[in-house]
Amino acid sequence: MSIRLSLRTALLVGAVTLAANLQAQNAAPLQLHSDVKVDKIVMADGQTKHVLSDPEVVVPGDRLLFRTQYRNTGGQEVTDFVVTNPLPNGVALDPAAKAPAQVSIDGGVSWGGLESLKVVDTATGSQRPAQVGDVTHVRWVLRSVKPGETGEVSFNAIVR
Amino acid sequence: MKRAYRHISKEMQMAAACGVAICLSVPTGASAAGAKAGVVIENTAVASYTAGAITSTIQSNTVKVRVDELLEVTLAGLTSSATASSGSEAVLAYSLVNTGNGPEAFLLSADPATVGNDFDTQIKSIAIDSNDNGTYDPGVDQLLASGASTPSVEPDGTLKVFVVVAIPADAADTKTSQVTLRAEAVTGSGAPGTSFPGQGEGGGDAVVGQSGARAVALDSLVVRAASVALTKSASVINLFGNGQPIPGAIITYRIDAAVSGSGTVQDLFVSDNFPAGTTYQAGSLALDGNALSDASDADGGSASANGITVQLGTSAGGISRSITFKVKIN
Repeated sequence: MSIRLSLRTALLVGAVTLAANLQAQNAAPLQLHSDVKVDKIVMADGQTKHVLSDPEVVVPGDRLLFRTQYRNTGGQEVTDFVVTNPLPNGVALDPAAKAPAQVSIDGGVSWGGLESLKVVDTATGSQRPAQVGDVTHVRWVLRSVKPGETGEVSFNAIVR
Repeated sequence: MKRAYRHISKEMQMAAACGVAICLSVPTGASAAGAKAGVVIENTAVASYTAGAITSTIQSNTVKVRVDELLEVTLAGLTSSATASSGSEAVLAYSLVNTGNGPEAFLLSADPATVGNDFDTQIKSIAIDSNDNGTYDPGVDQLLASGASTPSVEPDGTLKVFVVVAIPADAADTKTSQVTLRAEAVTGSGAPGTSFPGQGEGGGDAVVGQSGARAVALDSLVVRAASVALTKSASVINLFGNGQPIPGAIITYRIDAAVSGSGTVQDLFVSDNFPAGTTYQAGSLALDGNALSDASDADGGSASANGITVQLGTSAGGISRSITFKVKIN
């Protein structure tokens, strides 16, 4: 009897642990969704405007807008929310657009505004200001996201 | 079909967006380290956050964009003023660069009838620098048959092209002629932005870049011809000190060889036979006042029983040489 009882207890403990894991997953309060658009600048009536379209045809020199939407679907405020986006191969930050406030030129080790970062020129050994082509990662830091809150972060890139 | 339809509808959308105004949505060109056609750009965002006391990390979905092929080409003339003599052939060199982002072959055509030409050459052949040594090597460098395309050129790759032309025999000295070479992408060319669905490298579309996927370059050549004028004169002095051509009188012949034109004559030599009834005066042969030995030797001048010969070799236009020798009237 005593053996059977302890076995049942063990099973019960296992079930409880599984349920807790499931609950934790279901409760993952933040959802991310990324997409990408081609950003065409067109001139109409003497004014330039941006037209976003799905990237059906993309060639070097095209502007892309990478967007990531976030949503807090949980019932709890989250804090220290940091979205990090390694720059995909084949693109560089668009020099004509405003860079995200925090960028990295060393694979995400150190961060700062693009204008504050310096690159050591391998040829001359001297330092030069970082350029958009040096950026490896971009990120956005939000202090908190309240339940039900949604938002979007994005960066402009050019196909190399 | 579906793809083509999507493409058309997109163009219509763009047309609507542009209205009748200028549309600036033209590809701006591949850079040297550009994304190659067929490459897939993948993007995934990562986020970390703290909920309660737990810090978690999540990933977004991954979005993928395939890079389509950009059709771009540049062409440059490498021969600014080839010199050639009339009736001969000249080789003009051009440099083609595939400035697109996919491997591409190009159609070449050479046009000898360029506006402003003094005369037109005749196109003999178009060749590519197969052994990449920068010089046209007949029999080695591949000739392109009429209407044939070049081999595929890698993105950022350079192909040197030679156009062999014949100069008409009647082309006069210093006259110039330009030869136009045209190149266009085999996949297609046309207005920038023109798209060829499914024809790009890697299965994507091929899109005409700012060059229109075609390029033009000019090479020029100038005819360098030279001609030689010979003038012969004689002066006589007899034993009495006057110019009567009596037996025993010495005749000094002078031959002036004047080379004119902007070119060069090769292997120029002057020979003259002694008149009948005269005897050559040994050791009297001279070039520009400097004695030449009668023997056939390194000084280029020689005298035989019949006459004299003086080798002048390669002589450029503007050079004038004077040959003198003496005979005695028998």
